[in-house]
Amino acid sequence: MPVISPNAFAPPAAKIAQARVTQGRATQGQVPPTLREQVRRLERAHSLQQAGRLAVPTGLAAIDTLLPEGGLLTGALHEIEAGPTPSGRIAPHDGAALGFAAHLLGRFGQDRPAGTILWCRQPSGVFDAPPYAPALAGWVDPARLLMVTARREEDLFWAMEEGLRTPGIAAVLGETRAADLTAGRRLSLAAEKTGVPALLLRSQPAPPQSVCTTRWRVASAPSPAAAGSEDPVTVQWRLELRRNRFGTPSTEEMPSWLVEWNDETHHLAVVPQARHRSAGPAAAGLGWGDPGRQRLVG
Amino acid sequence: MPDLITTGVEPDADRRLLEALAGWCDRYTPWVAIDPLGAALAEPDAEGRLEACSAGGFGGDAGLLLDVTGCGHLFGPGEAGERALLADLVERLARHDFTCRAALADTAGAAWALARYGERQTDLYCPPHGQREALAALPIDGLRLQTPVLETFLKLGLRRIGDLYALPRGPLARRFGDRPLTRLDQALGRVDEPIEPRRVPPAFRSRLAFAEPIGRPEDIAAATSRLLAALCRQFEQAGVGARKLEIALYRVDGSVDRTGIGTSRPNRDNPRLMKLFEERLGELDPGFGVELMILSAPEVEDWTGAQEPLPDTGTAGASFASMDGTIDLADRLALRLGAENVVRLAPRDSHLPERVQGTAPVSARPAAAGAWARLASMKGARPTRLLQRPEPIDVTALLPDDPPRQFQWRRHAHRIVRVEGPERIADEWWRPRTSGRHAPAHSTPPVRDYYRVEDDDGGRFWLFRDGSHNASTAGGATRWFLHGFCA
Repeated sequence: MPVISPNAFAPPAAKIAQARVTQGRATQGQVPPTLREQVRRLERAHSLQQAGRLAVPTGLAAIDTLLPEGGLLTGALHEIEAGPTPSGRIAPHDGAALGFAAHLLGRFGQDRPAGTILWCRQPSGVFDAPPYAPALAGWVDPARLLMVTARREEDLFWAMEEGLRTPGIAAVLGETRAADLTAGRRLSLAAEKTGVPALLLRSQPAPPQSVCTTRWRVASAPSPAAAGSEDPVTVQWRLELRRNRFGTPSTEEMPSWLVEWNDETHHLAVVPQARHRSAGPAAAGLGWGDPGRQRLVG
Repeated sequence: MPDLITTGVEPDADRRLLEALAGWCDRYTPWVAIDPLGAALAEPDAEGRLEACSAGGFGGDAGLLLDVTGCGHLFGPGEAGERALLADLVERLARHDFTCRAALADTAGAAWALARYGERQTDLYCPPHGQREALAALPIDGLRLQTPVLETFLKLGLRRIGDLYALPRGPLARRFGDRPLTRLDQALGRVDEPIEPRRVPPAFRSRLAFAEPIGRPEDIAAATSRLLAALCRQFEQAGVGARKLEIALYRVDGSVDRTGIGTSRPNRDNPRLMKLFEERLGELDPGFGVELMILSAPEVEDWTGAQEPLPDTGTAGASFASMDGTIDLADRLALRLGAENVVRLAPRDSHLPERVQGTAPVSARPAAAGAWARLASMKGARPTRLLQRPEPIDVTALLPDDPPRQFQWRRHAHRIVRVEGPERIADEWWRPRTSGRHAPAHSTPPVRDYYRVEDDDGGRFWLFRDGSHNASTAGGATRWFLHGFCA
């Protein structure tokens, strides 16, 4: 279940009342909202008070409708974590999450065509697997990347923060295993100040943080065609929006989509539900995450 | 002599002390040398023996040589300033319990002789062009000659340097060789004497002395800012920008603390440089107080910076500004993380996957837009992460040349349901292989067949098989490696 952020209660009482007035008009004639709904609206009202918040669409219409301002807010912290595999194992690598992060970087990069993109990571010795530019080129021009390697976590977060405070930067991405609440808050504040978007990429699920604006869980999904067939490998990801602060509440508690990346046309699209279901028993039978959320699949 | 105290010789300690003292002398001039004149005496003689000399080296009679040309004005106008400088030097050293004799003359040779053999205090300052008179009365030892030559001079009754003035040069050269005449000419300023300073003096420096020692970090930062402003004006006049800057704190106890910054391109922007310095100033220890600060630029380059963009240039101006911001950021990051950890990605023309992605310094021109995309479009599917070193894996395949069915990596089995490939990539034969005949087990084979595979869990991997001609016949099993992870 999504964590209600402490910020939800941050606006003073007068502003809450004002927010109710503005929100009230829109909700007239609808069923009385639940408490969760109310909190979400307050959060949204809070976000609207910060003038000049801009968002960059993810390029997936089904997802953008749920997001505040129709996209990912710039000047905010977004977390992307690699989810467990469909069979529930810890994924051996974060290829899918990295791909989605690169897609978002590309979108942010298009928004600011002149800016450099800062990519911060911690090396892990001879077993290190750094991002590979020829593949990234499908999403974002690697010539725009400034790669920073930091040995220590403090240095990594420091470098990200420095990047966020620099006006000429289009986006900042940090690969980290650490879940440092204070660092997350600092990054979020720094991003808010300059309007530079910040992304955190985690190779495995981490305890949820309350500071990020959106949190995504991405795992690679099996190609839809039947196993053993001669069809080529299709890049499909299971995308789960686990936190959507300031956003429009979805009918589902934790909306998830199956998306497909086309290597040739460099296009990311949501797989329609019908085709998705026809993916067969393999997709439907394999629980996504813990068994309690199986109803979200399919 | 019952009161005589004896201690062992410690040449290393002497050297360290002298080096520290030379560093301290930077306060007067950037051009300081550790007595090379005395050291020159210790040339091996005809029989190859090293002649022990009375002065020079790092021993008890060690000396320092300071070129104070143009430095006297800091202490007063003209000759009075130079005298004041000399007095200040002796007095400050005396405060640190150093007994020293300092002389000032037009030439290094004359100053050397005066400092060691001058008899009266007033002789130690030799006014401009006065070295001929000043040296005349000094003993002949002041010419920095080796002992046998000196002994012969004494036998001939030549006791003072002035005695040589009148002698004809020809017979003197025939009898004693060139050296005595050269030394005499050098001392009198007829011949130049090149001497190498301890540290190359920076062409650009600015200096700030304090009436009262300072110690608060804010004061040091303020002083740095003032020094930087002065230095940036010098840069602008000379049309250069700094690549390296060094700040030195001269503390009251005579020690010196230094720190420096580097920039990735010539820079003379005061606020930017100051921002870089702010990172470093915390490391400086003012000790009991700082009485002098010197900011110098050991490395400068011609100014290549962009001009201020015209106000109406729109995007061009924006891209300039963004470039500037990036370079500043990179400088700040490099200062803390090391320059090798802040890089751009540079494409390389190669078809070996591990060679394609190179790195370039931030100041390098970024790869042309689309260069990477063009490179990527010519190849097959590529992984989003590439392992630094391909990891050997156990693969099950129906036949040695068949695509893989299952592989085991890091103790976990992956059943393969989908395969794309193979894509054959061979070594670049025009590049020498480092491994040679007996390649280590982990080395990459010269011919590789790459597959993109998908396991039953949806994970996508990039594997390759050792595709060399004799791979399967030589060792039996085919070698397989995992090289990357696909999206």
